Amino acid sequence: MVPATLSRHRTALWVAFWALLVFGALTALFFSAQNSAQFGKWQPWILLASAVAIVILLGLLLRKVTQLVRAYRAGAPGSRLTTRTVLVFGALVAMPLLSVYVFSLEFLNRGIDSWFRVEIRQGLNDAVVLSRSALDLRMREQLGRTEQFARRLATLPSTGAMLSAMDEELRRSDASEYVLYGEFERIIGATSDSVSDSLPERPSAELLRQIADGRGYVSLEPTSDDGYVIRTAAALPLAAAGSDGARFVVVTHQLPRQFAELTDAVQRSFSQYGDLAALREPLKYSFSLTLTMVLLVTLLGAIYGAIYSAEVLFKPVQDLMAGTRAVAKGDFATRVPLSSRDEMGFLVQSFNDMTKRLRRAREETERSREAVERERERLAIILARLSTGVITIDRELRLQRANAAAGAILGVDLAAALGKSLTDIEPANSLIRQFVADLQSNLLAGRDEWREQLELKPTGVTGSVKVLAVASVSLPQTEDGAPSFVIVFDDVTRLLEVQREAAWGEVARRLAHEIKNPLTPIQLSAERLRRKLLPSLSGQDAEMVERSTHTIVQQVESMKQMVNDFSEYARAPAMRLENVDLNELIEEVAELYRAQAGSIDISLQLDAGLEPVDGDRSRLRQVLNNLLTNACEALENVPEGRVLVTTSSVETGGVPQLLLCVTDNGPGFPPELLSRVFDPYVTSKPRGTGLGLAIVRKIVEDHGGMIDAENRTPAGAQVRVMLPISDKSRREQA
Amino acid sequence: MRSEQARPIEINLNLRLTAVLWCAFILTFLVGARPALADPLEGTLDVQSGFVNVVNGVYNLHVRVRYPVNEETRVSLQEGMSLSYDVDLEITRARRFWTSASVVTLSLQRELSYHSVSERYVVRDPLGVNEQKSFSTLEAALSDLGQIDAWPILVASQVVNPGDYTIRVRAIVRRGRLTDALRALMFWSDDWQRKSEWYSWSLPR
Repeated sequence: MVPATLSRHRTALWVAFWALLVFGALTALFFSAQNSAQFGKWQPWILLASAVAIVILLGLLLRKVTQLVRAYRAGAPGSRLTTRTVLVFGALVAMPLLSVYVFSLEFLNRGIDSWFRVEIRQGLNDAVVLSRSALDLRMREQLGRTEQFARRLATLPSTGAMLSAMDEELRRSDASEYVLYGEFERIIGATSDSVSDSLPERPSAELLRQIADGRGYVSLEPTSDDGYVIRTAAALPLAAAGSDGARFVVVTHQLPRQFAELTDAVQRSFSQYGDLAALREPLKYSFSLTLTMVLLVTLLGAIYGAIYSAEVLFKPVQDLMAGTRAVAKGDFATRVPLSSRDEMGFLVQSFNDMTKRLRRAREETERSREAVERERERLAIILARLSTGVITIDRELRLQRANAAAGAILGVDLAAALGKSLTDIEPANSLIRQFVADLQSNLLAGRDEWREQLELKPTGVTGSVKVLAVASVSLPQTEDGAPSFVIVFDDVTRLLEVQREAAWGEVARRLAHEIKNPLTPIQLSAERLRRKLLPSLSGQDAEMVERSTHTIVQQVESMKQMVNDFSEYARAPAMRLENVDLNELIEEVAELYRAQAGSIDISLQLDAGLEPVDGDRSRLRQVLNNLLTNACEALENVPEGRVLVTTSSVETGGVPQLLLCVTDNGPGFPPELLSRVFDPYVTSKPRGTGLGLAIVRKIVEDHGGMIDAENRTPAGAQVRVMLPISDKSRREQA
Repeated sequence: MRSEQARPIEINLNLRLTAVLWCAFILTFLVGARPALADPLEGTLDVQSGFVNVVNGVYNLHVRVRYPVNEETRVSLQEGMSLSYDVDLEITRARRFWTSASVVTLSLQRELSYHSVSERYVVRDPLGVNEQKSFSTLEAALSDLGQIDAWPILVASQVVNPGDYTIRVRAIVRRGRLTDALRALMFWSDDWQRKSEWYSWSLPR
């Protein structure tokens, strides 16, 4: 604001200075035209100042016009409006000015010409001729008298007589002076009616020449006191030459006052007219020049003023246009300088307020956007860390968003499938296929929000059943109006298993408590019956008692075994952890089974560099026992039964683990039981409690490991156990 | 791209050319519109000689000037115009290490006109009261105007070292009986004005 104010003040000072200068020059020109001697002395300087002003004004104007033309051709904001205003304003000023100028020039020329009309000149010439004629008559009379007096003087005998005659003639006539000259223009005598003691004027050369020629001389001479004298001279005849050498007499006559005034009036008019007539053309030129200069100064000043005014007037408009363009380009920091407090200033102020509000609104929007972006990032992080699968889809099942857990649960890379339809993602994957089919059926049924448990069954012999808890919620419609849904699903397979385990644990505890206690009295009672009754019986009765009690005892034993197994499954004794070399344990257990297995080939492929695990040796031994028992029992009717036990080191999620695989070439798990082989009481064998693999899983999970089972192609089954290596070994590796 | 760059230069040249043409037009209008007249004061105008003598402690100047005589002057005078015959005098004193100091600046003004009734050329001092002479011919009048004798210009007591004083004289002929306003108004259009070269000499030691 400060530089703009300074600039405005500087411009105003310049305008005031030039306006004052031009106004002063014009005023001086005006007064000088009024024939003022005072201003006349200054006029050269005034003319010079005006000329300089015109040149400077012309330069400034050319500069302005050049800038205006450039701006117009470049299409600068406001240039067309400024140009139009300047043209209109210039035309409005120029037309009356030029009209006045042409009229004034014509008026001046005609006016000046009218001063010097031929009639006036002729009249003055006639007056002069008339005056001259009237005076000529008088002058000739005077000359005749002088010649007559000269002839009379020549008759006089002496100089004294001549002087006396001159005195007498002076008194008698209207002459004012008589002078008698001798040889070499020597004054012989003079008489005058004035009391002056000055000598008579020396005769002029013309007078002397005419006297020498023997002619009389007469002249009308103006005097300093606005009077006239008629000077006549006549030579004395030769007869009088002896009279002291007198040669000629000069007589001066004062023209009567009335004649003198009239003659002077005619002469003054003639002279003044002559002077003015000589100024005719220069005057016309000078007035025209002055008028032209005034016109130029006024016209140039007016046009310059028009340009300047238009610029000042439209400057806020230009600023507003530039500001509008800047705002249109998104620059809300634009501020238009406030140049005035009028309506235009109000408009500029309003524009500035508007841009300020827009800027604030944009900043607010930016902050909101950043907050939304932060929330989105946070949500993305949460979704990424979430173990629950979350995907958003539209009604055409196009995948819009998916987190990592969703892909992990469904076993596909959903990040690479964004934008694709779920039906196009890995059609061979039975899990995703079943999942998509379920989504489709719900959407086709018109259900936007539902919640259900979905069981995904593997096809073929491999894989295990997955149970998903799926929920769908419709999202607010997007900008294009297409509905979308967020599908949240969680793999609850393990959860269900844990729940089942807990239930079975409870059953086992109740069995142990409710069934085991009556078994011992039953067994004891049966044995007592046998001891008491058997000796007293014989034959078939003894045999029947023997067989019955034996059956009771055996079944009770069997039930005890079963209850013990349940107890074993249910109870969770405190583990005694130690570093266990699994390879050594496997070799030990395998050796025992090789001895019992008969034709079954039990082979080992053990990783020599296997790290030890932190585990309970006896319980891990039970794991191996159960697995090998299971495998051997599965190979009972297989001609070339083989059991392969392998160990290896693997890394899961950056954690080093130990992998134990027990593989057989038996018939494998029945497919319908594959997903539940580790559940209690699930077995495909005619005998057995179905608790072996359940116990194995419990022990493995108590050790922080994982277990799964699958069928092999073309035949056989494999159970895989992953156990974390010991903390000590992990630290040593680190 | 090339043509777009060249365009502003073309505009600039056109504008400058237009500006120059406009200036030339205006100057031509101002100067060229002046009426073309023959020189009415054609002829020799110079100071032929000049000297000073000291009479009774006063330096008197004697100058001889030759004024131009031609038929146009004669006709103009006989049609009523008057002419001024001025003689400018400057006396300066040389100073050491400095510019000369002006001691005296004088101007002798005479006016010549033609008295049409008496058919005589009248020479008068426009400032004096009784200073007037008349001549029957222009030559006689100019001869009288060209003889300036015993013009007292300096008192001897003012002069310290005569050799340091320089006198210079010039003659001026111009239109007479003209007010200053009119004379100024015809600043560019008055042909009736001539000045001779300065005639200068030093005071005798």
